[in-house]
Amino acid sequence: MGSMTTNRKKIVTGVVGNDVHVVANRLIEISLKERGFDVYNLGVNTYLEEFLDAVLETDADVLLVSSLNGEAEGWCRDLNILKSNYRFRKEVLFVIGGNLTVGEADEDVLVPKFKRYGFDLVFHQKDLNEALDEVEAVLSERFS
Amino acid sequence: MSLLQRERESITRNEYVDRFDFDEIEAFVRNASKNLFISHRFATAGKMLVQPRGGFPTYEKVWKLYEAFKDAGVDVLPLTIDSNTRLNDYATAKKMLALSEANDEDMLNGYPLIIHGYRTTRKMMSHFDTPVSLRHGTPDARLLVEVALASGIFEIEGGPITYLLPYSKNFPLDKAFLYWKYVEKVCAHYSTFNEPINRESFGPLSATLQPPVIVIVIQLLEMLLSLEEGVKSFSVSFSQTGSMLQDIVTAKVLKKLARDYAGRFGYGDAQIHLVYHQWMGAFPYDKEYSDALITASTVIAAMVGADKIITKTRNEAFGIPTKEANARAVAGVQYTLGMLRGLPDAGDDEEEAHLERMVREIMEAVLNDDADTLWRKTFNAIKKGYIDIPFSPHVINANEVITVRDPQSNIRIIERGSLPISDASYRYEKAKIALPEGKKVVEKIIEDIGIML
Repeated sequence: MGSMTTNRKKIVTGVVGNDVHVVANRLIEISLKERGFDVYNLGVNTYLEEFLDAVLETDADVLLVSSLNGEAEGWCRDLNILKSNYRFRKEVLFVIGGNLTVGEADEDVLVPKFKRYGFDLVFHQKDLNEALDEVEAVLSERFS
Repeated sequence: MSLLQRERESITRNEYVDRFDFDEIEAFVRNASKNLFISHRFATAGKMLVQPRGGFPTYEKVWKLYEAFKDAGVDVLPLTIDSNTRLNDYATAKKMLALSEANDEDMLNGYPLIIHGYRTTRKMMSHFDTPVSLRHGTPDARLLVEVALASGIFEIEGGPITYLLPYSKNFPLDKAFLYWKYVEKVCAHYSTFNEPINRESFGPLSATLQPPVIVIVIQLLEMLLSLEEGVKSFSVSFSQTGSMLQDIVTAKVLKKLARDYAGRFGYGDAQIHLVYHQWMGAFPYDKEYSDALITASTVIAAMVGADKIITKTRNEAFGIPTKEANARAVAGVQYTLGMLRGLPDAGDDEEEAHLERMVREIMEAVLNDDADTLWRKTFNAIKKGYIDIPFSPHVINANEVITVRDPQSNIRIIERGSLPISDASYRYEKAKIALPEGKKVVEKIIEDIGIML
């Protein structure tokens, strides 16, 4: 494999739970490709187990879970427990973003809560490009 | 007994269905009022037919909705089916209907037709004596369509592609083709007794930056799949693109090629109609702006020469409309249509030639597949990404094609993926796009989706 391809980061993404917000999912995929990621998009209606299986199978660097229907907490609270069943070959960056709750949310409560569930980066109603800039910044720090 | 009849007996023998009396149903269709057939209305109306969307869980509420629509001057009534029935989950539909009836609260987003049954529903259809169109979204609509036809609902919307790729992630596409083949055969069967049953395809697809070439190819294929089973009356459709010129060009090419391909396949005797959907994308939250959008859509529908228009309401941004808002929209559209006299014939020869060429390029690639039947050729074309619907949730969809708007708001292909269009066609599309320096494609897409907000 040439040096051109070895630097590309692999990312698994999709929409968690019973959530069919396909437009947002597709926009994330296009953005990630524009930024030079190898994207494995599992699409809408994806369960957490399927995400972790895909991370293992693809040897991904990042898992980017999105959720738009407000049901993220119910589908993601067991991430840490689930993670302990997998032996990933590298340090995976766990990211979640979207509309993470129904109705008004206090960021100061919401972000630490999702971090406790096992996410490294948490974006609630954040601009897609700003969020992806931050993901790239963290990755370049890790791999510098 | 024929294989089809044996399958029909088996499909209709279901714990949620009261005994199916095929002889009685055939006699009913044979003697049914001509007014129930939209195919008859198309032939005799001499105007664009106006049809809203709508359906409620209980019989009484649908009855009241129909009364409001009739007062507003409706031409075609809708019957929208609830989501549980669409997924063949009749047990949940039954439970939710009982709760809706007991608590006077809508626990379903449509009418659970199979639970109500054809004997009950037929009374309502006969009373209103107006064509009814079945609106659903069901991949396996075999039982639903049996019950609909037995009820006096003589227009069936949908198709194996248009009711699957925009709606489902995992339902197997090959099964959808076979289940819809059954639907076509049953519609064709009943078409021999009285006026023809009309089938209508769902051109809006995922309603998000859909390139007209894909819409037209899918309309032509679903039309051919229907006509080859013996259906004699078919409606092709598309939704407002956001560019008036692109709507006019799309309609001209769609009408021309529908006739052309129907003739080429030996179905020149079929009646083909054009249906126009008012804007299917995100609506403004301002109700006056929504009224303006609906009026503009109505003008375009008249410009494109649609045979039927499917209406939206000023409540679109807020969820399922009340019957009052829905009926008001029908009256408003009828009023607008009444003032549109002496419309000029607009068009663009270059754009029409370009779109027609692209459609033919894809159609030839689909038809040249080695498979022995049209549905298998179409199935293979979707697997290969020859047909690729932007923003489809289905796993089989290639998701490689990317579209954006040009400065005139026409939807253009910026990334063709595996579409078998020629380099010349692709260059034409790309040459029309003007992406400002430094602007990301994804930012342009987000803007282009939200043009009506």
